[in-house]
Amino acid sequence: METKAILATSGPAANKKPKGIRLFFIKLARQRALVVMSVPFLIWLFIFKYVPIWGWTIAFQDYKPALKFWDQTWIGFEHFKFLFGDERFVRVLRNTLAMSSINLVLGFVTAIVLALLLNEIRQVAFKRTVQTISYLPHFISWVVAASIIQTTLSPDGILNQMLIWLGIVDKGNEILFLGIPEYFWGIFGASSVWKDIGWNTIVYLAAMTTIDPSQYEAAEIDGASRLKRMRYITLPGIKPVIVVLLIMNIGYLLESGFEPQYLLGNGMNVDYSENIDIFVLKYGIAQSNFSLSIAAGMFKTVVSFVLLFAANHIAKRAGESRLF
Amino acid sequence: MLRKRKLALLGLAAVLSFSVVTACSGSKKENNNAAPGTSSPGVSEGTEPKKDKATFTIFNGVAGSKDGNTNETTIGKMLEDQTGVNFKLEFLVGDLNTKIGTMIASNEYPDVLIPDAAIEEVLNAGAFIPLDDLIDKYGPNIKRVYGKDLDQMRAKDGKLYVLPMSAQVGNFVPDPEPAAAFYIQRRVLEEAGYPKVRTLDQYLKLIEDFANKHKDENLTGMVTLTHDWRFFATSNPPMHLMGYPNDGNVMVDVNTLEAKTYSASDAAKKWLQALNGLNAKGLFDKASFVDNYDQYIAKLTSHKVLGFFDQRWQAANAFNALKDAARKDPSQDAYNYFPLPITFDENIPDAYVDGLGSVITNRGIGITVSAKDPARIIQYFDNLLKEENQILISWGIKGETYEVNEQGRFYRTKEQIDKIDEAFNQKFGFKYYSWNWPSYGANSSFSDGNAKGVGYQPEVFQMSLTEADQKILDQYGIQTYTQLFAKPLERPWYPAWGFAKDAKSPEAMWETKKDELTKKYYPKLVLAASDKFDTIWNDFLKEFGKLDTAGYEKWTTEQVKKKVEAAQGNS
Repeated sequence: METKAILATSGPAANKKPKGIRLFFIKLARQRALVVMSVPFLIWLFIFKYVPIWGWTIAFQDYKPALKFWDQTWIGFEHFKFLFGDERFVRVLRNTLAMSSINLVLGFVTAIVLALLLNEIRQVAFKRTVQTISYLPHFISWVVAASIIQTTLSPDGILNQMLIWLGIVDKGNEILFLGIPEYFWGIFGASSVWKDIGWNTIVYLAAMTTIDPSQYEAAEIDGASRLKRMRYITLPGIKPVIVVLLIMNIGYLLESGFEPQYLLGNGMNVDYSENIDIFVLKYGIAQSNFSLSIAAGMFKTVVSFVLLFAANHIAKRAGESRLF
Repeated sequence: MLRKRKLALLGLAAVLSFSVVTACSGSKKENNNAAPGTSSPGVSEGTEPKKDKATFTIFNGVAGSKDGNTNETTIGKMLEDQTGVNFKLEFLVGDLNTKIGTMIASNEYPDVLIPDAAIEEVLNAGAFIPLDDLIDKYGPNIKRVYGKDLDQMRAKDGKLYVLPMSAQVGNFVPDPEPAAAFYIQRRVLEEAGYPKVRTLDQYLKLIEDFANKHKDENLTGMVTLTHDWRFFATSNPPMHLMGYPNDGNVMVDVNTLEAKTYSASDAAKKWLQALNGLNAKGLFDKASFVDNYDQYIAKLTSHKVLGFFDQRWQAANAFNALKDAARKDPSQDAYNYFPLPITFDENIPDAYVDGLGSVITNRGIGITVSAKDPARIIQYFDNLLKEENQILISWGIKGETYEVNEQGRFYRTKEQIDKIDEAFNQKFGFKYYSWNWPSYGANSSFSDGNAKGVGYQPEVFQMSLTEADQKILDQYGIQTYTQLFAKPLERPWYPAWGFAKDAKSPEAMWETKKDELTKKYYPKLVLAASDKFDTIWNDFLKEFGKLDTAGYEKWTTEQVKKKVEAAQGNS
């Protein structure tokens, strides 16, 4: 209300209320400093995010790197036909969606729970220690992390030793965890949580600091228990952050990562570990079939785009904060 | 107030998640810093071209040494003094196809490229310049060394784009050690009284008996290497057990020249059944199928592994570590490995020792379109192929790293052998010049009869043996390990894995799909309960039957025949 009043009274044409396109330009002129400041970023965005879309044309060609653009042979939707006609692609798509969903759900739930718990800790030294320990793995490269995981899960690794000690597994019958395809998603989910839980809490912890402490005090006086305070003050306080992050992450649903699957995958669990990125590497880049890689990339982008809009739309419907 | 806070929160969330996203995507991008611009710009042709200092870049598609300049090594410095040229070497880190793909996509290459397995991609991208004119002008030694081999390297348009890595020069000097073998720990042989071991059954029995006697030591009977492309170490043995050399995916009949695949043959079944039996007895290391190369090497040096099959070069890191340890402490010699000529049957002669084959046409070294001054590079290569420089890169400097006796034979003294370790190889340049350059082949000899390869010179080989080595060789009544093996047959096409093929061709597709199938089914077969083995084998056959194997065999047979014809034309 306040802002509208200012607009109405201080425009150059004072007696006529500007409307539509005119209002837009007046606003634009008034905010020119902001517009100028955003120009470099728009240029960056254009060069690095829009110009490369030109490369999509490769998906419709029998692309040969040595030839000039106009010398390429155009073959229409051949590569897309190959992709969707290949039974492996369906499997790969399933793996991608499954693993990123696991990642999304587990990542969200564990990070929020840990953030809530950390927020309740009053002893600063303990809190800091837990935080540091929990986000250290994030800084380990996946190459190293994969080695750690492999060693842990190997037949003579610590996990098998523990199972033998507990009498669940017989010696000599150790479980080859990475060799059982059905286990892969679980291993992937658990290792992703181990690696990223601490890191993911940072956003939520930062969000929690903005909650007015007087609300907690008031609740305490009214007799709200700790759990109730979490439920009715902390969680609603960080809800906008949760929703926005969720929407953005849904846009990345087809990005289930590359390194963990590539490094932990092997011939035995390939039916469950191979995702779109690895498929593209194997049948696109490794065979120097760049067109196929681009076709798969295009498919990913389009699906992500749809998912992002869908999630945003649902958030809008539900009356939640949203991206746009 | 509340509203503002909400906005601030949104902004915070957006900024943070954005930075996370960009950080993640940033790490995926390949860091391509093999920029070609490092060659010195001031090289002017005509006026004393030899003396001007110039630096060129080489990218080597095989991981191995650490990056560096050739002129930081003794040999490289001497060659720089001769030619004025220094090379900056970069070795592969990570995935070859990704790296080469990035180069192709950006059309920016190092001056010289060794694309290893990605050679077809590089050729298709038009990244190499034709070398014919340059060789005519500057390459008398290149012509002398490669001779007609160059014709086999020619592309479809009749031009020469890549130089083969090496060519046979002079008399054939046999390798004192086999190229591949079934290896066994020496203590196993010692305890069994140095028996003659020829068949797979005998070999496995020996391992089993030893493991049973030493139950408390927690020993592993066999491991196999399966990681990524190195999977061939697990899938190749059927071919060797049938008495064929490493021709890749096929066994080639010496008389009819027919190429036959063996991935789904009875031989493969027998080999996998043997491993399956070993696994049932708890003697096979299951982790073989999930371990990477480093873990595999670590296991070989752990003293716990009794036997394995591999190519010698692939297990060399482990052998060297074990040998070094045994040199310092002779009691450790029991953990060294001994090569055995194992086949399915005593009547099948083995083929583990490499004979004189043909030039490998799907590997090589080429000059790229990014190179500023190809003439200087080809001159460097030509200079390198002079006999004196071939002696330099392989034997080093007379009086320093080798000696010559009255008969003109090269040898090394005990001190020299002890002095030359990994660190010395790096500093002196033996490492950089070991195989990354156009050079004489390993089995070559110089005009005075000395061997090109230091290890191939009988005098050096004898000198390099420890007392324990000598003892075990004496037990078998041989002077070199090779003498335990059958003499190599003449195979003018060898190796068949070295046949050049198009990246998108049916042959390449067959190989990719075959690899995928074997990588999936072989582990299953080895780890299966013995009563399930046949069911899984039949599943595998069903899947394998979908591939155009006949087409692949036909193509390979044609290539073999072409090579044989070319060889006959040569002589």
